[in-house]
Amino acid sequence: MVRAERKVSRQTLAAAVGVHYQTIGYIERGQYNPSLDLALKVAEYFGLPVEALFSLEPFQPLTDQVYGHGRDQ
Amino acid sequence: MARQEQLSGYDQRMFALMNRREGVPLYRTAGRRRAVVGVHVVLTAAFVAAWLGTVVGELAWTGWAMLGLLLPWCVATGAINGATRGLLELRPRALDERQRAERDRVRAKAHQIMGWVLLAAVLVTGIAGFSGLAAKALVFQVAVCALVLHWLLPLWVAGLAARDEPDADE
Repeated sequence: MVRAERKVSRQTLAAAVGVHYQTIGYIERGQYNPSLDLALKVAEYFGLPVEALFSLEPFQPLTDQVYGHGRDQ
Repeated sequence: MARQEQLSGYDQRMFALMNRREGVPLYRTAGRRRAVVGVHVVLTAAFVAAWLGTVVGELAWTGWAMLGLLLPWCVATGAINGATRGLLELRPRALDERQRAERDRVRAKAHQIMGWVLLAAVLVTGIAGFSGLAAKALVFQVAVCALVLHWLLPLWVAGLAARDEPDADE
């Protein structure tokens, strides 16, 4: 998860993008889909394209991407 | 929070009040939230009954019963508001997009339930009237109950719809 990787707390990110910190938690748990506006603000905060943070398909764990686990399946 | 620059002093105080953490043990799990809402429903029913006893029945002791019920009712109300983070108490500008959407859902659900309750009330009073019972004498009591239900149903729905806190920050 990019937020944890960058050592940014939920409160810090929430304050930066103007939402309640619970909203960040619900987005991370997949319990809330942010608006395009909020998604763009989060992407801007991390300096990443929005598709690097949000996807229609669940992201593969980082270890799978780095070490190639699960490619044989 | 970035939005707080646009919030009035009142909004900021209410936001801080609704996000206090002291009551968290009361509503940490779904079971506890259901229990708090259940207690609130019972206290409200008792309070309304006591008030009607005072006003309609002209009973003296029910006034004291109301005073006794007031404090626990306020505590239960505070617990539900804490569980929902002030979903129904804060102004829209103090809520974010998720909370505003949640509030709309809660109000829609409460409106739907209230419609069924009113339908039931109409049917029951109608049947009672056609059966020859003195339903007119109960009009005031039924109207008071409907008003209280209309006022508090969104709070109860919000309390039941509240979700568990996200896990502790990594």
